[in-house]
This record gives sequence, structure tokens and C-alpha cells, in this order.
Amino acid sequence: MSNFKIDREQIQMVIALVAVAVVAVFFLGLTDIVTREPIATAQKSALHKALVQVLPEHQNDPLADVIHLKPSADESSDNGGLADKTSKTKKPFYPAKDKQGNIIGLAWETIAPDGYKGTIRILMGVLPDGSVHAIRITDHRETPGLGDHIVLNTGWINSFIGKTLKNTRWAVKKDHGDFDQFTGATITPRAVVKAVKKGLELFKANKKELLLTPPSNTSPISVPKAQTDKGEKS
Amino acid sequence: MNNTIDSISKNQILADGFWHNNTIFAQLLGMCPLLGVTTSAENGFWMGAATILVLIGSNLVVSLVRGGIPAQVRIPAYITIIAAFVTMVDLAMNAWMHEMYLILGLFIPLIVVNCAILGRAEAFASKNSVSDSLVDAIAVGAGFTFALMLLGGVRELLGQGELFGYAVFGADYPDFLLFILPPGAFIALGFILAGVNIINRRMKENADKKAAEALTEVSLNTETTAQPST
Repeated sequence: MSNFKIDREQIQMVIALVAVAVVAVFFLGLTDIVTREPIATAQKSALHKALVQVLPEHQNDPLADVIHLKPSADESSDNGGLADKTSKTKKPFYPAKDKQGNIIGLAWETIAPDGYKGTIRILMGVLPDGSVHAIRITDHRETPGLGDHIVLNTGWINSFIGKTLKNTRWAVKKDHGDFDQFTGATITPRAVVKAVKKGLELFKANKKELLLTPPSNTSPISVPKAQTDKGEKS
Repeated sequence: MNNTIDSISKNQILADGFWHNNTIFAQLLGMCPLLGVTTSAENGFWMGAATILVLIGSNLVVSLVRGGIPAQVRIPAYITIIAAFVTMVDLAMNAWMHEMYLILGLFIPLIVVNCAILGRAEAFASKNSVSDSLVDAIAVGAGFTFALMLLGGVRELLGQGELFGYAVFGADYPDFLLFILPPGAFIALGFILAGVNIINRRMKENADKKAAEALTEVSLNTETTAQPST
């Protein structure tokens, strides 16, 4: 009898836990279904918002015209950590085009793996001549009040405008470069400067492929291009 | 203790949850989100709002199933319930409040381990009716949010000279970094706790004085011995 009683208690426990888990999973699944679309939209619109800020005025949808650069070995090793996953698939470049479909600017993400508190993600917009049009920090964990001055859309972040690989010493002033550091925070700007420089070098190395392939014809070419990329991916 | 809880009124639950047993001021629970996200009043508010949602959900469900879960497995069951609500709030914020979600980031999933929530499930919701548990969740959550906003506001004001993003001391306020960094959270919290203790002492002194006055009046008027109720 005593055995029977213990068994019943145990079964009750199991039933209770399983019931709680099943109900929880049901509602989580429901939430996932409801929120999946809005989350994708929110992420896309956040990216779009950032793209509009770093690209020159354009007539196309940079998200729809995305160009995927074929992965190169040196790039994935440079970016480190988190970046590996994205660069191993295909690095997306978002083009800005004028009415004739000519590329008037390109935006892509560059990643600084060596921020003060981990990775800093930077969206950089570059003109076809290789000069920086604008950059924006899209994600970071830097110290509030010190390193996070990089996110302010006024001030420091604008010192990148017009900079090219040639006309600039790509380092903070402490390292005899052209960029200010902040009081109390040198590591953060140093990492950002390094990452943007890396981004420009990537652009320089792939300039031909990025600028020549799609725009030689007008915009229609970009659509089949995007489709073939999707086909290759799946 | 159970008996007294059963008999107390909703007003008492509200006052206890918001002030007398305030998660932060009285129990010093939930320090992780408190110190982590309170760099501004707005962050504090949304962190508090997310916590209230989880608290209401978990208190309601725990109170609903309070008869059906064997005592030995109640903690894993409560944690599962809380984790489910946290994930739902996390997904919802990601979907509909994307910008704030990026700021609060890691601290939303960490609501799971906010012991204040498990504490309410275990100490209150598992022993009380659904409606009482709802009132308790709202009171405790509001008290927690109030504390987060107060600390966030103090740190934002002293650290950046702003409140809810508006420059209070003018645009050229020199940032007081200490209050933005984690040590500032501890220092500000210490002063706030001192202030709360002063308020509590004043309240108690006033209550004592009133009780004493009432007592003397009663004894003067009727010369019967009233029961001192302190």
C-alpha cells in the first residue's frame, strides 16, 4: 500500500509539471506565430531607417536591390566572432540608385569586434569614389555616458564624413591619427575607426564587382540578381 | 500568517505591495534590473512595465492553479509559468516596441530570475484568491516601477542633467559620469533608501501621536479604558 501511495504522488507531480509545460509551450507557440511577422517588419524598418541616414538621396529601395558579395576568406577572418556567420553566407550591400539606376552610394555593415564591451555594429554609407557619406552605430554595449557618445548623430560620428582611405590617418589622435577620442573612452572610438577602415578596404578590394556588375544596365537587372542570390542560398 | 493574509483588505494589499513591502525599498530584491537599466527614467519605466505584465500573468496563473500543483514541484512549475510570460513579453516588445527592446536588451529575459516575481508567486499568489493576487501583482509591480523610475530619474538628472530626455539644467550641463556608471546606482540607491527610512519614521511618529491623542481624548471624555491599538 505504501508503495502505491508514493507512486500516485509521483505521478501527480509528473502530470502537474507536464501540464504546466504543455500549456506554456502552447502559449509560447501562439505568441511566436503572432509576433514573427511584426518582429521581421520591425527589424527591417529599423534597418531601413538606418539606411536612409547613411545613404545619399535615392530613388530605389535599397533593401530590395540588395547586392550580395561573394564571401572571401580574408574578410571572414578579419571580422571575427559574430560576423563569421553572416560573412560566410553572403555579405549584403545596400545600393542607393538615382533615377537612371546608377549606383550613387552603397551601404553595408561593418563590425568592430573589439569594443569596450563586445561587438559594435556599424552601418556605413560610402559614395562610389570611396569616401564615407555617413556612418551610424546600429548596435553596441558601450558604457553609457562614456563610449556611447558614438551613437549621437551629431558630433563625433560626423567626423567620418568625406574621409577616404587616402586622405586620412585611420586612428584616434592618441595613436597619431585624425579622429578624436573621448575623455575616459579611447577603446570605443579606436574600435569604430578600425572597423570603418576595414569596411573601406573591403570596398576597395571588391569595388569592381560591387559597382560594375549591376549598374551597367538599368535597374531591372537588380531584380533577377536578387532572385538568383536567393536561389543559391536555399 | 496565512490567516492574517486571508482577512486583509484590498487596500491593505495595495499599501503593502506599493510601499510597506516595496520590492526595492523594503525587501531589496530585484537589484539586477534595478542597477542595470536605471540610467534614465524612461528605461526604468519600461523595465517596470515589462515586469508588471509578467507579474500580473504569473500571479494570476499561479493563483488559478494553486490547488492543482503538488508542493514538491511547485517551484519548477512556477518558474516555467514565469519564464513563459517573460518570453511572451520579450517577443511582444521585440515586435511592437523595437527601439526600447534594443535598449533594455538582455534585461528583459533576465526578468525570469527576478526573485521578486517568484517571491510573489510563492508567498502570495499560491495562497490567495485570484482577485487578491491580481491586486497584489499590480501593487507590487507599481511599487517596483516607481522605484526604478525614481532611481532612473535621479541618475539621469544628476548624470546627464536630463529628465525623460529633456534637458533640465540646460544643454551645457557637464555630465556627472559617476551617476551613469554602476557605482552611481548604488550611491543613489543608498540616499533613496535613507529618504524612505526618514519618511517611514515620520509616518510612524505621526501615527503614534494620533493614536496617543485619540487615546487621551477617549479616556478624558468617557473615562473608560480604550484598547491601545498600535
